[in-house]
Amino acid sequence: MKLLSSLLACISLLFVGCEYDNYEAPKSTLSGRIVYEGAPVGVRNNGPQLELWQDGFPLRSYIPVFLNQDGSFAASLFDGTYKLVRKGDSPWLQQAADTILVQVKGNTHLDLPVMPYFTISNPSFQQNDKGITANFTVNKIVNTANLQFVRLYLGKSILTDQGQQELRVDANLSLISFGQPVSILATLPDNLKNLDYVFARIGVKSTVSNEYYYTQIQKIALK
Amino acid sequence: MFAVSLLNSCNHDDWFDRESKTLITDQQLWNDPKLLTSLVANYYDRLPTLHGVFNTGGMTELDDAMWSGHRDQNWRNDFQFGDDYGRYWDYGLIRDLNLSLENIAKFSTQLSDAQRKQYNAEIRFIRAFVYFELVKRMGGVPIVTTQLIYDFSGDPTPLQVARSKEHEVYDFIYQELEEIKEDLAANNASKTRANKYAALALESRAMLYAASIAKYNNLMASPITTAGGEVGIPANMASAYYSKSLAASKEIISAPFALYTENADKGANFYDMLNKKTGREVIFAKDYATSLKVHRFAYDNIVRSLTEDNESSSTISPSLSFVESFDYLDGRKGTLHTKNTDGNYVAYPHIDAIFANKDARLYGTVIYPGSAFRGRSVSIQAGVAIWNNNKYQLHAAAQLGQQLKEELGKEYAGGLWTGFDGPLYDAQDVSNTGFYIRKFVSDAPAASTRGTSAANWWPWFRLGEIYLNAAEAAFELGQVADATGYVNKLRERAGFPVNSVTNLTMDIIRNERRVELAFEDHRFYDLKRWRIAHLVWDGSENDTNAVVYGLYPYRIARPGHVDDGKFIFERVRPARFRRARFFRMANYYASISQDVINKNPKIVRNPFH
Repeated sequence: MKLLSSLLACISLLFVGCEYDNYEAPKSTLSGRIVYEGAPVGVRNNGPQLELWQDGFPLRSYIPVFLNQDGSFAASLFDGTYKLVRKGDSPWLQQAADTILVQVKGNTHLDLPVMPYFTISNPSFQQNDKGITANFTVNKIVNTANLQFVRLYLGKSILTDQGQQELRVDANLSLISFGQPVSILATLPDNLKNLDYVFARIGVKSTVSNEYYYTQIQKIALK
Repeated sequence: MFAVSLLNSCNHDDWFDRESKTLITDQQLWNDPKLLTSLVANYYDRLPTLHGVFNTGGMTELDDAMWSGHRDQNWRNDFQFGDDYGRYWDYGLIRDLNLSLENIAKFSTQLSDAQRKQYNAEIRFIRAFVYFELVKRMGGVPIVTTQLIYDFSGDPTPLQVARSKEHEVYDFIYQELEEIKEDLAANNASKTRANKYAALALESRAMLYAASIAKYNNLMASPITTAGGEVGIPANMASAYYSKSLAASKEIISAPFALYTENADKGANFYDMLNKKTGREVIFAKDYATSLKVHRFAYDNIVRSLTEDNESSSTISPSLSFVESFDYLDGRKGTLHTKNTDGNYVAYPHIDAIFANKDARLYGTVIYPGSAFRGRSVSIQAGVAIWNNNKYQLHAAAQLGQQLKEELGKEYAGGLWTGFDGPLYDAQDVSNTGFYIRKFVSDAPAASTRGTSAANWWPWFRLGEIYLNAAEAAFELGQVADATGYVNKLRERAGFPVNSVTNLTMDIIRNERRVELAFEDHRFYDLKRWRIAHLVWDGSENDTNAVVYGLYPYRIARPGHVDDGKFIFERVRPARFRRARFFRMANYYASISQDVINKNPKIVRNPFH
């Protein structure tokens, strides 16, 4: 009996928890979009990231913020003041002062302005017997930037971009003048022809960065 | 008890003052050549590498190969280079080396002058090697040449060394090597200790890297630089660096080294060159010895049907794009002719006929269908092709090594269906691409067992690389005739006729480096310093270089037809390969750990991080 009770006492020790090392999970959310002149900026899936930093601690470490391909993001945080950093090698200009102070209190929404090298406006897609025609306008935002690619992407999946796509058609850069409507014609290959629908996106890349600015994904019914 | 304690006496103080039998004092260590040699051996063993020194996993992270070993590491086929890819910041090793240098100066009074100089030079060589590893991965790093010791004054700033400019680190490496190279001459007979030519070889490589960064970084649309020059080398420094590299290379070429040509069979010769420890090709190596110091590269990568142990084999599957980078001996590009222009398969009479007349280095590097290893031919065949509805239907067996009975019809029965060595497109421990690696896989008895393991050595520097360094530097300096000579010399060893290259281009030199130095920890750095890594590994799922493809051979079963029994080849994307290689601008210089920046606020971040 003595043995049993002392065993029990030992075992019950295992169930003792220490309240000091249990923190409550963060309840506030910082969410928002990457925007240029109010319009969301599309990015590559699993591509550019943002960084969140917080001052006031002896050691610093950042919180990575991943971007959805439509340019939206969300992070669970404690209330407080954070610094949001727009990193380089993104489809937008790296600002000398790349930090934005964010006050997070409860659920906070933030539209994060960026300065893309190029944008694409008024994208529209027409399906005809030849294939899919994309009409759009390329705009130069950063005067010093040079155009490298303007590309139409078609894919089976809603995640379609430079990395993942079924068809990629390059625009002839010599025919592109900024601010003027352009079009790209994509002839559908066999593996896309008989689908019910495809997803389409247009991307534009400057020579400076490795990342493209994308239009929002559009679903095109083929049947 | 009290009485006993009185019996103690203590009249000899030196009883307490004896020499320890378990501790080695500074005076003993720094004055005993044997102890010093074993200390330096420890440092040699810690020489850093990224994908080298039989790092099977690292070799499968680029475009030359994919991972086809155990599924628990399939992330190597499904990852993108993170911001910290290739991060290296080993100031612990730098401190150890600095401590040794200071203690040799302080304590080594009983060594001869020559001995002291030699150990000093060896350790400084290792330190230069480590700084080279740091600068090629991180850009300009803090140059620390003494121990940093805290003085408890409350002010840590004297310990916080800022980053040097990128070119300053390369200059430091060159200057160090120039100062010590003559002191290393006593080691010239050794291939595993730093000798004069190892120092020159490091010079040759490091100066070439500095030169190409100076040149190609500034040709980018937006050069990768930091305001303080921690990253980026001014373009006008390129030709001086190329000249330094060329001078070092020339000195090695004129020294008693020779390209390995001991085996008349050029393909086997290329394999022997790294597998046997004979010849005068290798300049500086990390050696292994059976039962003493071994590695398991052969265990990891032995062809599946030749395994001598269980649980692993076939881990590195070389890629089709790599195999195709080996030219044909008649000067044609190496693209394999699998289909005619009309889209029909080309039927080959033998399974290895498609590889006939290829650069002999292909045989020495890759085990392809129809070739042999350790005297036994491998059994690589994906399946059989049956003519049906005016086209070939490809059938693979359920079991490896299965013979074809009547499963596909009576008339097709007979013969091998799928080989014992695959390929299979989604299995583990069998090639997923149709190729196995031969280079560095030891053919010694029991080398692929875990009990014995392999003891072939790792060449840090060899003459083949020096020829290519010389060719590249000479070409960039406009000495095209010399450069062509170096490349042709190396190609002759690979079976090409004399003067096979007449119109040398940078693309030829780059391809030569890919095929000659494959799996020797060069490609990642080569593509980085030419600033083309982001173009070659562009992350596009449709790119045949960024995606690892395989080549699957099928035997034609078509009774009565002229092609019956011949072989056709299908280009396949293995299902285990999940994501195209994607190198971002941010990968040109790895990010510095936040921990390092927290400790030393003077550290500037690398671009894009």
